[in-house]
Amino acid sequence: MKKVVTVKRRALEANEERAQALRTRFAASKTLVVNLISSPGSGKTTLLEATVQGLGGELTCAVLEGDVATENDADRIRALGVPAHQILTGGGCHLDARQVEGGLADSGLPEVDILFIENVGNLICPTTYDLGEDFKVVVLSVTEGDDKPVKYPAIFSRAEVAIISKSDLLPYVPFKLDSVLSQISSLNPDGETLVTSSLTGEGIDGWLGLLRDRLAAKRRTTT
Amino acid sequence: MGIALEIYRTCRETIESHGGGRLEKVRLAVGELSAVEPDLLIYAWEAVVDETSDAAAELEVVWHRANQHCSACGESKERSEGSWLRVCPDCGTPLQVDGGDELDILDLSFESDGPDDGIESRDHDGETTGSETSQ
Repeated sequence: MKKVVTVKRRALEANEERAQALRTRFAASKTLVVNLISSPGSGKTTLLEATVQGLGGELTCAVLEGDVATENDADRIRALGVPAHQILTGGGCHLDARQVEGGLADSGLPEVDILFIENVGNLICPTTYDLGEDFKVVVLSVTEGDDKPVKYPAIFSRAEVAIISKSDLLPYVPFKLDSVLSQISSLNPDGETLVTSSLTGEGIDGWLGLLRDRLAAKRRTTT
Repeated sequence: MGIALEIYRTCRETIESHGGGRLEKVRLAVGELSAVEPDLLIYAWEAVVDETSDAAAELEVVWHRANQHCSACGESKERSEGSWLRVCPDCGTPLQVDGGDELDILDLSFESDGPDDGIESRDHDGETTGSETSQ
């Protein structure tokens, strides 16, 4: 006998429920949570190194690192005296909320002012999975080509902040910065875009200022 | 692949809560702004159900377009296929975008293991929907 059943359920409802539980938890601890998404090699970890050093002594930070294999990224953050935990996806191309819950439970990371979640290097799948973050940041390095926003529109339209990294290399690569900035503002008229170099420090002050402002705004709304 | 697995998990839970059986077809609403490519999702689906008792189960995608409206022009604007630009093609004003982010399991059909018990269907939240039909 054939039966038809109405389901009417979000396909990723289980992930969304866990993400919402994480969001409630981060609201209670007044932790700003940032989900960093990019291709492999765009400079996410180097940006985080510059970030935690820039905020050191002022705000407490912790980092959850998502990678398919190795503890390399977490080691780099820990070397700076900042608590970090590596989530190994064993082939998975993105982090989901369950892995973030598990990573927080396993790691014993302390409650901090800002928790950075560095997603697996991939511009597609991480876009779809809510991790309970306050906002997504997409990082695009100038060596990746200046057509990436229109090629990967989903992440550029959903990330509230876009960072163009490795700006110190701009004189050496055919990267039309104006074109990229206009692509991003067309995809996400309300977003913020920053041009940074973790090597020279260009734009890092603006990025740190953005993080301070967002944290202050979250503390106001959750008090 | 992760999305296909989640869909399959939900299908199995739903079928088990209705007495068990073999999945025949599940219908999924996919919006054009959901960042999900139907062909790839169906490919992943086939890999997920392969070598299960539901190996022949079909995933049907119901495609949803997004509506976009320009407040300056006061009219709805056509979206060119595959375009995500959220500014009006005529005047450059940011567009109000409505819908297009669907990724919803609509319904499923399955061949029931059990006898026709005549029990009214219940949806996932346990509320009576009356939508189950025996054929």
